[in-house]
Amino acid sequence: MVVKRKRETTVDVFRRLFEAQFEPLDLPGHTAKPTNSDEEENEIGDDSDLSGSEGDWDGMSDISDESNQVEVVEHRDAYAAPEDRMDKKTWKAFMSGKLLSDLDKPSTEPEPTSKKEEEEDAHDSANLKHDLALQRLLKESHLLDSADDLAPTGKNRLKALDMRMQSLGAKTSLYAQNKMPTAHRRGIKAKAESKEERRRQEAKENGIILEKPNKVNKSSNNGRRERGVSGASVGKFSGGTLNLNKDDIARVQASGRRMMGGRGKGKPRGGRGGGGRGGRGGGRGDKR
Amino acid sequence: MEISYTGTVLVYKPGLITGSTAGTGASGGMITYELPSNCNRGLSYFLIPLCLLAPFAKAPMKVLFTGPGVITSSTPTGDMSVDSVRTAILPLYKQFGIFNNIELRILRRSNTGPTGRGGGGEVQLVFGHQVRLPKTLHLMNAGRIKRIRGVVYSVGVSGSNNARMIETARGILNPLSPDTYIFSDVASAPLVPAPDKTNPQAKKKIGLGFGLSLVAESSTGCLFSADVASPPSGGQAPEEVGKQCAFQLLETVAKGGCVAPAAATTMFTLMTMGSEDVGRLQVGRDVIADPNVVQLARDLSKFGAPGWGIRDAPDNGDGDVIVSIVGRGIGNVGRKVA
Repeated sequence: MVVKRKRETTVDVFRRLFEAQFEPLDLPGHTAKPTNSDEEENEIGDDSDLSGSEGDWDGMSDISDESNQVEVVEHRDAYAAPEDRMDKKTWKAFMSGKLLSDLDKPSTEPEPTSKKEEEEDAHDSANLKHDLALQRLLKESHLLDSADDLAPTGKNRLKALDMRMQSLGAKTSLYAQNKMPTAHRRGIKAKAESKEERRRQEAKENGIILEKPNKVNKSSNNGRRERGVSGASVGKFSGGTLNLNKDDIARVQASGRRMMGGRGKGKPRGGRGGGGRGGRGGGRGDKR
Repeated sequence: MEISYTGTVLVYKPGLITGSTAGTGASGGMITYELPSNCNRGLSYFLIPLCLLAPFAKAPMKVLFTGPGVITSSTPTGDMSVDSVRTAILPLYKQFGIFNNIELRILRRSNTGPTGRGGGGEVQLVFGHQVRLPKTLHLMNAGRIKRIRGVVYSVGVSGSNNARMIETARGILNPLSPDTYIFSDVASAPLVPAPDKTNPQAKKKIGLGFGLSLVAESSTGCLFSADVASPPSGGQAPEEVGKQCAFQLLETVAKGGCVAPAAATTMFTLMTMGSEDVGRLQVGRDVIADPNVVQLARDLSKFGAPGWGIRDAPDNGDGDVIVSIVGRGIGNVGRKVA
């Protein structure tokens, strides 16, 4: 009862406020239209004193049909911020056939750089580009007929490309001829040798100290000695006896594991054959 | 293996589990197994027992499942999806010391065919960790759920179904576990050969639909999974599937214990195969009351495993029980010499 009275008074207060602003309301029983919750409270109030006569309560029938519908509340959390979705890398890691254990590792994402830093970076990279262009121009200027041409064309472009490759570590020029008659090659070699000889001679006469002459390595001397198919893998087989020197014995007596590793790396059968072939090829190359 | 004339007696002479070695039907180290088109069970029905056998094989086991009967999604017959096997069953082997080189690749997805039979998926299982004996397991602390992961798949239908399932499922799960991510996979429908009189080369699309697989991981590494896919007859909205799956996951977690019902048989079997030591596992009362688990216990005791000891878990209000299992110590005969 108390609840109801209190409720009515608040409703009355609101009604008065409303009527002060707009025109007066004419509602049946001079109360506001009962909402569901209001009606429930009315009911509770009535149950507490059934004997008491309540004028405004006459059963369930006066509750209007539209206000008595069951309200379905579906609780959902709004989530779907698109940036909230996982990135492609995580997707791939998850969807690969692997088990989930490696997902525990924290993803190492680079911190987003500030705008200023990004600008600086852009500036730096632009500078670097200009630098590169300038350096190339300086290096290759002797190739250029017209010095204002930054991007050479045709033969000059190919030459410039070759130079760049060599500066990046290419062993020989792209345009070095590698197929020629033996006589031709011999001639070239002899010429190069005589040239070198003359240079050294002149330097000696003028008292200039030059670098030491390149030792000409004989064919396949640098690698392992090639053996026949049935040759011994240890020692030297000659005159029907296998001669082992101290090194060989030490190697055999070293721990088996290490020896296996060494063999696996150095001279498996197929590899040895390949090495031999490679050695011969290298020898031919040296004659050039 | 012999089956008698009347089909009532089956004689099976067990041998070594060889794994995928040459000479046992493996080509290139991979056994190809083709499922017939009238298969109505999901692939997990085959995968889970195979994974139980694989640690006891002599060589790594690599199997490729293909054919017109491979259903990678969950099915109305109650099989879980292959995604759940990968995310919820296979990680459990880690607790038994089996974790190296295990992979389950889903090469082609497929839902159930139109009549609940057949699919056209392709799945590759690599089980490369063979052990002598699984480790003894003591798992009595279920922990609390720390993250939820999931895979949502659409096969031959619009990818927007995925977004709808994710939205609904996350709507329910996100307030409970903020670390919830569901990965989306959209695949085209597989083509299986369907020769008819006019065109012997004819192919048809099969296994259209969508589905959702969720896995909840607890702080102690216990996994709970849920799986719902659209029924083969269709007519279910993705929101409905997402909601069902989320609720199913909550129900699975609510059953308590350290093991989900779907994984209980795997855990119990591996514990029985362990060394001659008592392993303990806390499970929910509903989980152990499952008919499958009871049947497993009977089967194991028939095969000579010692019985299980079951007692109430101390200071636990959920009515969990602790199952103590003594291993048989048989282990991998193929790896007797360690």
